[in-house]
Amino acid sequence: MKDPILEVNNLRVSFRTYNGKVQAVRGIDFKLFEGETLAIVGESGSGKSVTTKAILGILPKNSIIEEGEILYKGDDLTKYKEKDFYKIRGKEISLIFQDPLSALNPIMKIGKQITEALVLREHMTKEQAKKRAIELMEMVGIPRPEERFEQYPFQFSGGMRQRIVIAIALASNARIMICDEPTTALDVTIQAKILDEIKEIKRKQKLSVIFITHDLGVVANMADRICVMYAGKIVEVGTAREIFYSPAHPYTWALLSSMPDLETKERLFSIPGTPPNMIFPPKGDAFAERNQYAMQVDFEEEPPFFKLSDTHYAATWLLHPNAPKVEMPEALQHRIARMNRKEGV
Amino acid sequence: MFRYIIDRVIALFITLFIIVSIAFCVVRLMPGSVYDQDGDLSQTVIDTLNEKYHFDEPIIKQYGYFLKNVFLHGDWGTSMKMRPNVPVFEVMKDRIPVTLQINLISLFAAIPIGLAAGIVAAIKKNTIIDHFVSFMVVIFISVPSFVFATCLQYFVGYKAGAFPIIYDASATGMAALHSMFLPILALMFSPIARVARYLRAELAETMNSEFMLLAKTKGLTYAQSTIRHGLRNSMVPLANIIIPMFANVLGGSLVVENIFSVPGMGGMMVDSINASDHMLTVAILVFYSMISLITVLIVDISYGIIDPRVRMGGKK
Repeated sequence: MKDPILEVNNLRVSFRTYNGKVQAVRGIDFKLFEGETLAIVGESGSGKSVTTKAILGILPKNSIIEEGEILYKGDDLTKYKEKDFYKIRGKEISLIFQDPLSALNPIMKIGKQITEALVLREHMTKEQAKKRAIELMEMVGIPRPEERFEQYPFQFSGGMRQRIVIAIALASNARIMICDEPTTALDVTIQAKILDEIKEIKRKQKLSVIFITHDLGVVANMADRICVMYAGKIVEVGTAREIFYSPAHPYTWALLSSMPDLETKERLFSIPGTPPNMIFPPKGDAFAERNQYAMQVDFEEEPPFFKLSDTHYAATWLLHPNAPKVEMPEALQHRIARMNRKEGV
Repeated sequence: MFRYIIDRVIALFITLFIIVSIAFCVVRLMPGSVYDQDGDLSQTVIDTLNEKYHFDEPIIKQYGYFLKNVFLHGDWGTSMKMRPNVPVFEVMKDRIPVTLQINLISLFAAIPIGLAAGIVAAIKKNTIIDHFVSFMVVIFISVPSFVFATCLQYFVGYKAGAFPIIYDASATGMAALHSMFLPILALMFSPIARVARYLRAELAETMNSEFMLLAKTKGLTYAQSTIRHGLRNSMVPLANIIIPMFANVLGGSLVVENIFSVPGMGGMMVDSINASDHMLTVAILVFYSMISLITVLIVDISYGIIDPRVRMGGKK
């Protein structure tokens, strides 16, 4: 494997609120390798967005990075001041937002929003910046870019706006692109197009991508590796193949069982209960409450990571040698068998 | 956009016509007549005046004459009491510049201060600076301008002797500015507070928006993103309160003008009502209405200039 370009070690982020300290991210580790797409999957409130915001230093004011480090090119980003981030934002690491409808300034021309950073930071002339912007707009698939350059966001559809946001993210040749649920606010047909667009751009520009989503279906075609997050922790990490074909954590099972595919005939699984209150995170495994396979030890002690392969780790006591043998849900077994059969053909 | 402006202007004239009609009737319906305070006028004089100005005819007929004069000759009538036999706009002509001067200077001085206070409060939200600004805002808004006027007159004018207690109409140049200082200052408090309060709320909200985050992540500095994205976007709704302020300060100056003996429009309006100088009262009302209506028109048009969504609304 190549060298990691970005490394997150034991990151803990909390938010001060009136009710107490919300522990949004509780000690996560991951590495992003050069040129790969790493997907971080988890439900709302699992801490995936907070992690990316910490990387770019755009956490809200009431947040605290309790401990841990984010290493980029040997620098620890958690130690960065606002003016240090100015050097890496957009230029080294850029971000694509969840909601393209509110991410663009409604009263500034599209062209200006793309060229702004180029003119202000890269000190390009207006003409150079415009040329670059039009190239970018062509690249992300916007027809008649010269004309579109002079228009305002309200004259664009949602999918078009997301393309503009991607163009802005690409403007300064960033090496890492973080996509924070880039297709959640779009309808399904546009979703597929934007995902293809991102894949294509990633290949052409040789980017490393962190892809945040709650939808495993979206990452199936995109990701090289997947981290599954629950309640501020990574519960399972592996290559996309490992996560889809041999998931080991009950939470990953639950996520996969609740995702429909074309041949699903059974009633879709829904995970019972709600995520835990992160002001008082539970002792032991945070998923134990909602886990039908939970054992006594799950409520008492946090499971460590068990190694399944060089790339595949899962944090569940079920993998402990002394644990009873538990099979994944039947519906999931059938699906995996189906997927394997298809591949065999 | 052109069509839109034409629509607004036509609406403005219809509104103005309705205001003039109501003002004319209401003023005439007030008890008392032009001759009340002049007990020694002979019947012959009264008859002659009645014949010339039609005071003895029904209101509706008088209204007809009034409209005829306004539309055919642009004649809004003559003052009967304040300055007898002088056309009303002639009477107002001397007063308008004084009022406009004081109000415009106070407003133009107040807006930058208000903007600065609002920006500082929004950026330093929930700090001691913000609390201080908010505290001052509450005081400036809740204490009426005539209280400030009297306090300024007493402490700054009388005790400290720094500025004249009353306005000196004969002064020119710097001396005039010097003598206008206290009324101007007294009129500034409320606009400062209102602009500051509004901008603080708007800017604080804009600063939390997604596009501010995007501006940051594309690599703008804090100052760049605040000025280029935060401020301009907060200005859109701000136009809506700043422009009508011109109309409001004109009304507010009514009392303040009296306190500082400024020979402006405010005093004249009260005097003309007391003297039953009907034509003059109507003319002053028209003047005030006209200013309010024009400010509303400017607000509507300025929205189109500041906000492209309104400007381009018509042509997709």
